[in-house]
Amino acid sequence: MQYMYCIMEYLYYICNMENIKIKLARVEKGLSQQDLADLVGATRQTIGLIEKGRYNPSLNLCINIAKTLDRTLNDLFWYEDKKK
Amino acid sequence: MDERNKQIAYKVIAVMYFLTIIAMQGIVLYRQFALGQEMSDFEDIAIIMTINSLFLISALLYFGAIQVRRLNIKSILLIYVVFVVLGALFTYAKYNIFQSSGLSIEQLFDKLIIIITIIGLILGFWILLSFLGKKRLDKELE
Repeated sequence: MQYMYCIMEYLYYICNMENIKIKLARVEKGLSQQDLADLVGATRQTIGLIEKGRYNPSLNLCINIAKTLDRTLNDLFWYEDKKK
Repeated sequence: MDERNKQIAYKVIAVMYFLTIIAMQGIVLYRQFALGQEMSDFEDIAIIMTINSLFLISALLYFGAIQVRRLNIKSILLIYVVFVVLGALFTYAKYNIFQSSGLSIEQLFDKLIIIITIIGLILGFWILLSFLGKKRLDKELE
């Protein structure tokens, strides 16, 4: 039971690190990372790193991504504090 | 080249610049104190480094990278005194510790006058630039 709890905690940690919302919105739109990168004027690596949660994009890039994916900034980048 | 590439490039350039300055400083000190070379032998490196460092700090002050909240006389005087003391100590060490010939008190005093003047000019220049930079930012915010 304790192992299960650890695994779940790890998965929760991974999910928190990654920006799943962008990935889902992109896939829903039928775009690859390269397509999205071309549309927002970034490189595929940058999009990949944003999705992995390893790069904090500028506000301009966030807005471009949100507009391209027909979402709001809140939809893609806002996270509620899960500890509450 | 997107914003992430630019950020990485700026970081790498900044680190390499810093390392170059440190390496040049090391070379100057080595040639001056370890090899005992004359000032004229490495004057070019010293001049490049001095101008480079002065302009770096000036640009940082002007563009607001170094935040100067308030320019009060007390802190300016404190910085001035610290710089003068450091300069005087360095000069004393250079002539009377690392060089066997040494300088008399009068000669050291002459050097001290030069140090006080140069540091005063540099500090005045930096204060002027930080003031102009602040004014430029205020103008942009209007």
